[in-house]
Amino acid sequence: MNKTFLKNIWITILILPSLVILIAVVVYPFGYNFILSLSNISLTHIRDWKIIGFDQYIKVFTTVTQPNIYVIFFKTILWTITNLFFHVVIGVSLALVLNQKDIFGKAIFRTILILPWAVPQLIVALTWRGMFNYEYGVINAMLTQVMGLPPVEWLKGESTAFLSAIITNVWLGFPFMMIIALGALQSIPRDMYEAADIDGANWYHRFRYITVPLLKPVMIPAITLGTIWTFNNLNIVWLISNGGEPQDSTHILVSFVYKAAFNFYRYGYAAALSVIIFLILLLFSLSFMKKTRTAENVY
Amino acid sequence: MKLKYLILSFFILSCGNKKEERTKITIWHQMRVDERVILQSQIEKFMLTHPKIKVEQVYKETEEMRSGFIIAAVAGQGAEIVYGPNDNIGVFSSVDIILPLDTLFDKKFISQFNPKALTYYKNHLFQIADKLGNHLALVYNKKLLKTPPKTTDELIEIGKKLTKDFNNDGKIDQYALVWNYTEPFFFILFYTGFGGWVMDDEFNPTLNNYSMVRALEFMRNLRDSAKIIPRESDYQIADALFKDEKSAMIINGDWSWSSYVKAGIDIGVAPLPIVNETGLNCAPMISPKGYSVNKNISNEKLIIVKELLEFLLNEENQLEATKLVSTIPTQKSLYSNPYFTNNEIMVNSQKQIDLGRSMPIVPEMRAIWDAMRPHYQAVLNGAKSPKQSANDMQIDSKIKIKEMLE
Repeated sequence: MNKTFLKNIWITILILPSLVILIAVVVYPFGYNFILSLSNISLTHIRDWKIIGFDQYIKVFTTVTQPNIYVIFFKTILWTITNLFFHVVIGVSLALVLNQKDIFGKAIFRTILILPWAVPQLIVALTWRGMFNYEYGVINAMLTQVMGLPPVEWLKGESTAFLSAIITNVWLGFPFMMIIALGALQSIPRDMYEAADIDGANWYHRFRYITVPLLKPVMIPAITLGTIWTFNNLNIVWLISNGGEPQDSTHILVSFVYKAAFNFYRYGYAAALSVIIFLILLLFSLSFMKKTRTAENVY
Repeated sequence: MKLKYLILSFFILSCGNKKEERTKITIWHQMRVDERVILQSQIEKFMLTHPKIKVEQVYKETEEMRSGFIIAAVAGQGAEIVYGPNDNIGVFSSVDIILPLDTLFDKKFISQFNPKALTYYKNHLFQIADKLGNHLALVYNKKLLKTPPKTTDELIEIGKKLTKDFNNDGKIDQYALVWNYTEPFFFILFYTGFGGWVMDDEFNPTLNNYSMVRALEFMRNLRDSAKIIPRESDYQIADALFKDEKSAMIINGDWSWSSYVKAGIDIGVAPLPIVNETGLNCAPMISPKGYSVNKNISNEKLIIVKELLEFLLNEENQLEATKLVSTIPTQKSLYSNPYFTNNEIMVNSQKQIDLGRSMPIVPEMRAIWDAMRPHYQAVLNGAKSPKQSANDMQIDSKIKIKEMLE
């Protein structure tokens, strides 16, 4: 009894530092943000703010904003799904290629393909913004000089500016999925494929019944993480569109929150919107993990 | 026993190494790299004569500094001194986080400065600037253009001659003029040239009027009819075109001029042209950059801060900055200094300042910028007519001001 008690004390002591850090950097800010979301804190009430209930949440759903909050929400979903789709498809495809046995210069290709991930997002965004320039950008130079197509005003149109941000983020995001998928592929025992070969399986059967199920437990958490990161990726969309250009049409929810909080000091409103974003992502993660049964053992 | 000795020796060593406590003063600023180097050297000079004081400068990006300082100072924290453009002052004093400087400095000290360097809000002085301006002017490459245009008609006439397709491939190789025309800050000078201003005396937006419509039309015509500016140009593109000598003129602020000199371009600075239709000068917004003091500061530190600011704002230090980064000083006595009077860039920069209009420092200005931006861009994109755009700007700015001040 005494020994167990001492053991528990020891475990508590070991856990305590991380628990304190967790409370300081996660629980406290989250709790404080929730309190702010129930308050009227803003530029004019920064010192004398008070709890006003769920008014800010009601405002989020009912006030007509410029741009419209529901349009922004739709764009955020579109942004997340499109990015994730290409991150996974490109990432897994490249991982499958790099996992082949006899590829010349595999290490060099792997290094080159990881590069987008290693470059700071600010540099990437500003470089791509220059590349999308109508007159001097390399994208239009390729379109006109190589493909004989007319130049596109990438950063001026609502849809083309949004597409520019998506292209940049796809380029930035696929290496993460590639690395995760490559790690998972390398851990699949070779004898499984050999056994499938003996059973007469073709490449599709091997991919469908061996690769996919064994990739799944690794890829699902990566996709969940990727969804959360992409949904909340302020940097790329903000920098490529220069803060929502053109005409505030390239906002996603998180850039709209940023603007409300730090450009207009609407802290209460921004806090309420960020709690809503948190709930959306929480519900998505829980239901996605449950539906895909990632926690279950595949063997 | 050994452990006891170890603890004892550690204690003795710790005592022996203990340095005398220095009072630390922190300055948050958003200065450019070259300005930061000057500030650091001046801080070091100050610390040499004040060994018990440690002054630290911390760079923050403009928006980060503004919001960071608000959050920190409301919580009783933050840097003792904050440095930036004076449009911060309205917000800072609205949330009561900066000290009125007329309680800290006497009238004699304050009277040394150009009145444009002193930012008052609700009858109190909240900022003393060390640099005047932060203003736009017409910068031209003397190799490509000998005499800058004085009027908008001249601008178009000269501009057509300077816009060139050297190799006849249908692509323009040299433009007459560039600037960052995604930002309304750069557009204001046309609005003022056509007789408009952003707000009335009660801080209500004044954007839906004939001046706005004409200014928007004029700007669009420069691109689509006169074709003397590129189809698309943000800050980076405009800057690169001018540095690569692919543009004869650029409208840019005093912060950028020294970089053109460093890039080897023989530049001239001229006041922005007069609009023929109105006879008015295109007037940029003027926003001095200077120091404010955190209201939470202790009395002990306040004495040091006073001394430090007196040092940083003195003639010698301002002249040093002027020589190195081509900024307009705020000490009145320096305006008769030969360096200033014999320097063509300085003289013309001063002329532009005299023709400019002070940027409103009230918080409402942020909402107006934000409301202007999308509708102004919509005109350039062809998505809206100037008339519609002016109307929408006005409506949006009222909504945004209401939301911000609720």
